[in-house]
Amino acid sequence: MADTATSLLSSALLKDARARERRVAWRQTRVAWLFIAPAVILVGVFLLLPVLVNVVLSFTKWQKFTGLDKFAGFSNYARLFAVPYFSEAMANTALWVVGAVVLPLALALALALLLRNIAFQETLKSLYFLPKVLAPTAVGAIWYYVYAPHGVLNSVVSGVSGHGFDFGWLYDDNTVTPSVIVTFVWQTVGITMVLLLLGLAAIPKDPIEAARVDGASPGQVFRHIVWPLLLPTVLVVTILNVAAGFTTFDLLWVMAGDYPGKRTLSLAVYMYYESFSNGGWAYGSAVAVVLGIMVIAVSAVLAFVQSRVEKSIR
Amino acid sequence: MAVDLNDPQFVKSLIDKERRANRPAGRWVLLPIALATIAYLTPFYYLFVTIFKTTPEYARKGVLELPDSPAPFLDNVAQAWTIAHLGQAGLNSFTYGLCGAGLAVAFAAAAAYGMTRLNLLGANGWFMFIFTGTLFPFQMYLVPLLFGYQRLGIINTWLGMVLLYTAICIPFPLLVLRNSFSAITREIDEAARIEGASEWRVFVSMILPNAKGPLVALFLLQFTFIWNDLLFSSVLANGLEVRSVMVALQSLQGTYSTLGPNVVITATLISSVPTVLLFILLRKYFMAGLQLGTK
Repeated sequence: MADTATSLLSSALLKDARARERRVAWRQTRVAWLFIAPAVILVGVFLLLPVLVNVVLSFTKWQKFTGLDKFAGFSNYARLFAVPYFSEAMANTALWVVGAVVLPLALALALALLLRNIAFQETLKSLYFLPKVLAPTAVGAIWYYVYAPHGVLNSVVSGVSGHGFDFGWLYDDNTVTPSVIVTFVWQTVGITMVLLLLGLAAIPKDPIEAARVDGASPGQVFRHIVWPLLLPTVLVVTILNVAAGFTTFDLLWVMAGDYPGKRTLSLAVYMYYESFSNGGWAYGSAVAVVLGIMVIAVSAVLAFVQSRVEKSIR
Repeated sequence: MAVDLNDPQFVKSLIDKERRANRPAGRWVLLPIALATIAYLTPFYYLFVTIFKTTPEYARKGVLELPDSPAPFLDNVAQAWTIAHLGQAGLNSFTYGLCGAGLAVAFAAAAAYGMTRLNLLGANGWFMFIFTGTLFPFQMYLVPLLFGYQRLGIINTWLGMVLLYTAICIPFPLLVLRNSFSAITREIDEAARIEGASEWRVFVSMILPNAKGPLVALFLLQFTFIWNDLLFSSVLANGLEVRSVMVALQSLQGTYSTLGPNVVITATLISSVPTVLLFILLRKYFMAGLQLGTK
C-alpha cells in the first residue's frame, strides 16, 4: 500500500519534472527560433523564393508591357536552341570557364614559386592583391581605355614594333573575349597567388629536405611532394574561379558595351541582355535556369573531387 | 657506399649541396618578377597620368606620356562629380554597404549563436537551408526580384536594396561564424547562464566580443561586395536618387558618352577610394577574411 503510494508519488514527481524539462526545452527552442528567424526569413524570401519563381517564370510568356497570364510550356527552352546567339554565348562561356581557371592558376603558381624566397615579398603581395579590391566596374572602365584604338596596349605595341597601331581589341570577334579574360586574370592573379602562398607555407619542410638529400631534382620535388600537398588549395581556387568564369558579368558589360555582338559574350550577358535590354523577362529566366543547372552540376563534381582529395590526404 | 667523413672532397660536396638547397633566390629570379610587375602596374600608371590631363591634352599626346601639369586634376574631379552625381551615388552605396553588411553580419551572428549554443531542433537543416542561398548564380534572382519588387512597390527604393543586400550577405558570414562560435569554449556561457543571464545577454556580452576579428573581417568583405556591385543595383535601382556608385560610374562610360577618358578615369578613381582606403588601413583584417574563405 505504502509502496504504491510512494511509487505513485514518485511517478507524479517524475512526470512533473519531465514536463518542466520539456517546458524549458520548448522555451529554449522558442528563443533559438528568434535568433535564427531574421536570417532564415530574409534568405528564404529574397534568395530561395526567387529561384523557385525564376523556374516558374521560365515557363511563361512574360515580357515587358504584357501580362503574366500565358503559360508557354517549354517554348522558351526550345527557342534557346533555335537561335544562334545562345550557342555562341555557350561557347564563349566555356572559353571563360577554362580561361578563368587555368590562366590565373598557372601564372599565380609561377609567381608564388618565384616570390617565395625574395625580399619585399609582403609589399609585392599587397601590390598584386590590390586590383581585387577594385570593383570590376572600375577595372573594366580602366581596361576599356587600355584596349581602345588610341589606348595603352596599341601604344606599347607601336613603341616596340616601330609601326603605328590602332587595333580595336574590344570590337573584333576574335579578340574581344580573350581581351576581357586577360583583364579578369589581371584582377584575379593576385588573390590566387596569396592563397597559393598560404598553401605553400603550410607544406612541411622535412620531406622536401629528405628528397633533396636523396638527390631529387627540383622538378621531381615539385611533382611528387609540393603538388600533391598543394592540391587542396588548388581545388579551392578552382572552385572559386569556375563560378566566376560562369557568371562574370560586370567586366564584360562595362568593357564590351560597344561590341555589336555583345549578347553572345557569355550566358550571363545573354541573360541580362535578353531580360533587361530586350524586355524578354520569361526568356531571360529560362537562360538563367540553364546557367544555374550548369553551375550547380560543375560545382557538385568539384565538391566531390575535393572531398576525395581531402580524404586521400588524411 | 661507405661514407668517409675524413674525405675532404666528400665533405665539400655535401656542403655545396646544402648551400645550393638553402641559397636565397638569385638574380635570375628578380628579372621575371620585375618584368611581370612592370606589366602588371601599367594600368595603374596609366590611371595616374590620365587623371592630370585635360581632354584635348589626352587626345594630342601618347596615352602613357606624362601630363603638362597636375592642375587639371581638380577640374576632372569636379566634372566627374557633377555629371555622374557621384555625391548622391556615393551616399546611396555607403548606406547600402553600411546597413546591408552590418545587418547581414548581425543576423548571421544571431543565427550562428542559435545553431551552436541553443537546443535548436534541426539546427543542421536550418543551416543547410540558409547555405543553399550560395549555390545559385545571381542571374537566377534578377527577373523574379524585379517582378516581386514591382508588385511590392519597393523597386527603386533604399529599403528594397538594403533588404536584398542583407539577404545575399548572410550565408557566407553564417558559415564562418558557426565555426568561430563552435571554437569558443562553452564554459564561459554556461557560467553566465547559471548566474541567470538571458540568452541575449550571453550572446551580446560573452560570444560576440570573443569573435571580434572574424566579425570585422566579414563586415569588410561584405561592405566591399555591396559597394562594388553593379548587377543588382542596375536592375533594381537605376533611378538617379537611389542608384549605386557603380551604376553612376558605368553611366559615364562607353561610346555614347561624350566625356573624355580623363574624366571617366578620374571618376573610376573616386569611386574606388573608399574600398582601397579600407583595404590599406585594415589590410590585416582583409587578409584574415580571405583565409576565412578557404577554410
